[in-house]
Amino acid sequence: MSLAEAEAQELHLERPSSLSRDALDRFIHNKAAVVGVVVMVLLVLIAIFAPLIAPFGPQEQVGPLDSSNPAGPSAEHWMGLDEQGRDVFSRVVYGARLSLLVGLVSAAFGLSVGLVLGALAGYFGGWVETIIMRLMDIMLAIPALLLAIGLIALLGRGLVQIMIAVGITTIPVFARLLRGSILAQRESDYVLAARSLGVRGRRLLTVHILPNALAPLIVQATLVTATAIIDVAGLSFLGLGPAEPGLPEWGKMLADNATRLDRATHLVIFPGAAIVISVLGLNLIGDGLRESIDPKMRS
Amino acid sequence: MPLLSVRDLAVQFKTRKSTVRAVNGVSFDLDAGETLGIVGESGCGKSVTSLAMLGILPKAGRVTHGEVLFEDVDLLKVPDSQLRQVRGNDIAMIFQDPMTSLNPVLTVGRQITEALRKHMDMNKDEANKEAIALLDRVEIPAAKDRIEDYPHQFSGGMRQRVMIAMAISCHPKILIADEPTTALDVTIQAQILEVLKQLVAEENMALILITHDLGVVAGTCERTNVMYAGRFVESAPTPKLFAKPRHPYTLGLLKSVPRLDAARKEKLQPIGGTPLSMTSEIEGCAFAPRCIYATEESRTKTPELRRIDSDDHLVACWNPVQEEDMPRIEIVAARDEGVAG
Amino acid sequence: MLNYALRRVLLTIPILLGLSIILFVFVRALPGGPEDALLGERGTDEQEAQIREELGLNKPIYVQYGLYMKNVLSGNLGVSTSTRQPITEELKLRFPATFELAIAAMLFAILIGVPLGFMAAKRYQGVLDNASLILSLIGISFPVFFLALLLKYVFAIKLGLLPTIGRLDITRSLEHPTNLYVLDSIIAGDPAALWDTLKHLVLPAIALGTIPLAIIARVTRAAVLDVTSADYVRTAQAKGLDPRVVDRRHIMKNAMLPVVTIVGLWAGLLLTGAVLTESVFAWPGLGSWILEAIRFRDYAVLQGGILFFAVLIVFVNLLVDISYAFLDPRIRYK
Repeated sequence: MSLAEAEAQELHLERPSSLSRDALDRFIHNKAAVVGVVVMVLLVLIAIFAPLIAPFGPQEQVGPLDSSNPAGPSAEHWMGLDEQGRDVFSRVVYGARLSLLVGLVSAAFGLSVGLVLGALAGYFGGWVETIIMRLMDIMLAIPALLLAIGLIALLGRGLVQIMIAVGITTIPVFARLLRGSILAQRESDYVLAARSLGVRGRRLLTVHILPNALAPLIVQATLVTATAIIDVAGLSFLGLGPAEPGLPEWGKMLADNATRLDRATHLVIFPGAAIVISVLGLNLIGDGLRESIDPKMRS
Repeated sequence: MPLLSVRDLAVQFKTRKSTVRAVNGVSFDLDAGETLGIVGESGCGKSVTSLAMLGILPKAGRVTHGEVLFEDVDLLKVPDSQLRQVRGNDIAMIFQDPMTSLNPVLTVGRQITEALRKHMDMNKDEANKEAIALLDRVEIPAAKDRIEDYPHQFSGGMRQRVMIAMAISCHPKILIADEPTTALDVTIQAQILEVLKQLVAEENMALILITHDLGVVAGTCERTNVMYAGRFVESAPTPKLFAKPRHPYTLGLLKSVPRLDAARKEKLQPIGGTPLSMTSEIEGCAFAPRCIYATEESRTKTPELRRIDSDDHLVACWNPVQEEDMPRIEIVAARDEGVAG
Repeated sequence: MLNYALRRVLLTIPILLGLSIILFVFVRALPGGPEDALLGERGTDEQEAQIREELGLNKPIYVQYGLYMKNVLSGNLGVSTSTRQPITEELKLRFPATFELAIAAMLFAILIGVPLGFMAAKRYQGVLDNASLILSLIGISFPVFFLALLLKYVFAIKLGLLPTIGRLDITRSLEHPTNLYVLDSIIAGDPAALWDTLKHLVLPAIALGTIPLAIIARVTRAAVLDVTSADYVRTAQAKGLDPRVVDRRHIMKNAMLPVVTIVGLWAGLLLTGAVLTESVFAWPGLGSWILEAIRFRDYAVLQGGILFFAVLIVFVNLLVDISYAFLDPRIRYK
């Protein structure tokens, strides 16, 4: 990450940002954000109730093995069949579970580690801060996907491994955010006021600083989850996803059928659209949150 | 024939939640070379008035009524292309915060020559020479070198001088100064006011000085209008205003200024209540809720400006201040500070 | 100004060092140890012994690191396990391909994104504004590879307008002094080849550039909105300047500053996007090279390739920082 970019990010933090009633009101009125919430709620429901929604199992063969010309969408199979005779709709539905799970866990992992690092850096300052931040800089110098690729090479392929790998790539974002937030707040007037009243240490951090840092954090968490889902799909697309055959991972479905584009477009379009919709939902929410906390147009 | 004649100007701002009535019927005349002060609290609509006159209101603002006659042309009715000939050329404006009012990525010289090349038909070299001369006039040392500098390389007071140089570059007939000293240190304030006064006299410009600070108008303006809730409540030659204010609000303003010669235990007298929220229609006198002289009439009928005491003193009040309550502040002849008292 | 540039350069050194250490550790941490990693499973005992000598695996770790760094700095990134070619040689072929693609994508993103963002800001909350917001949100939600596949399907397969893979029609021959095909065809004075090259470039560039476009449009819009409400714009208007002049000289000049930093940010994204796009279009660049390295477990290439990537990104960021300082006088004359 470049200095100028970091400065640009820090500039964003100078403006007041807080979860207030105003913010909530703005969010509710933001049509795009509401659409995002609806989409995500639906998605989560689909993921949770997958066995009830999907007519078949994700690896259940319900039709003929037809490598060259898998059946397209029909009344019985809404999204058609794939080359192994499996119902695509069911696979996409079960894929929601996988993608959401992996996305959330990766982001959560990155969030927790990143927060701790950022808090340590921001609170202690000095060489602790320098070391941690330099480490984050180095991590950011390697593009996320490549970093994840390298990590997978080290850790091997698998569900847990991919979550760790992608999770690690998200750490620097959170660490930077929190440390920047702490830095900006440490010098802000209300913190100085609190300190002059005798508020110290942990209480200062938890009661005063953290809640104000919360808002941009939530925004980033949503956006990072979206990126995580894309990155996981990307890794699967490259053949680095979990090795179990037949896993209904959206990215893997795209990879498997890239060569069949002309004959079996439905095998590419539906999983791809699924990815787009999930990520779009998260982005709408994250964006809506960002706008409602810190509206771009100050009247 | 007044140079500028504003009649019944009304401006509104539309937000998602409400409509703010920023200016509610403002009228005044300005003669060539006259210095007029407009005084009022933040949010009373004084800045908006001038922005509306020049046609540079922010997007959410709209002029809903009135006319602005400049040299017999209603500025509110002409197309923007024509208005651009007036802006910066015949009527110039300087703003409150010189740090944010100057473009950070252009040199100071460029920002001055911009206007010169547009309105005065100068080429690059002529404009540059003129820009240096202007910086000299506002007493910026080493003008020739400073022309190439950027705004952030100047101090606050210097930046404001640059703004002034920019504004007078095309020899405007009217200069509007919107809170020109508010963002500056007190000692610098005095200097800037001096520069302004001097230039106004040299160029024989009319000056509209907008401020919330009574001390500023005391030393600078021949005439002062007091604004409250989007309209003028009093208008008088400045010495008369200070000596015999007739509107309770003016009285309140004068009395709330801490005085160096006041007795030590004398309490400050703020005006009670809070400024009006300008989103609803005002019934009766806008100041009534905070006025110690308010009567039933004040609350129901809106007072209009009418003559009182003399031809040049106007007040909009049903219960003007009486003789015995007047503070009789004498403006000492404008010295270095130009402070009342 | 020079001062600032120097400082920035110095700051990147610890980052580069850190990177080299990480990659150094990376290869040694791989299952099977570096001998297997760098030689592949087909390495004979002799070769393994040789590698051990070369890398000094018997010697203490800091000596190994020293050897490694000496190699890297002298331009020796080792030899590819699959092709047995020196990595630096392959880089010379692969890098220009990706570079050309990246530049095309970036041009696409900037030439469309900036005006789009500007117009959206000018018509704030108008139809264009809302449409562009939605479109850019959709844009960033699209995985690059999905977009690439869709484009390929629609334009190359279904409509047959554009070629599906590669940089040049295989029947065509062209001298490659620079390996930048566009440049090469211009140098060779071959307009047909140029046209063919451009046709091959279009789809991958659009696929790769769409996400940066969406981001640039949003950032430009935000920057223009921000700047338009600034006091100095009001001053410019009060001077009676032509609105187009105000737009150009006052608004855009300032709005471009945050946009420039974003361009630097997306150097990283472009390069990763390249990995995914190149696989869809069989574009012989760095991206597909690394992909093959992963598939064939060519860790020498992975190590060298990632190092190159990362250094490239650091370098681009450095350039962006310096040009930012050049554009913003407040930083230039601190």
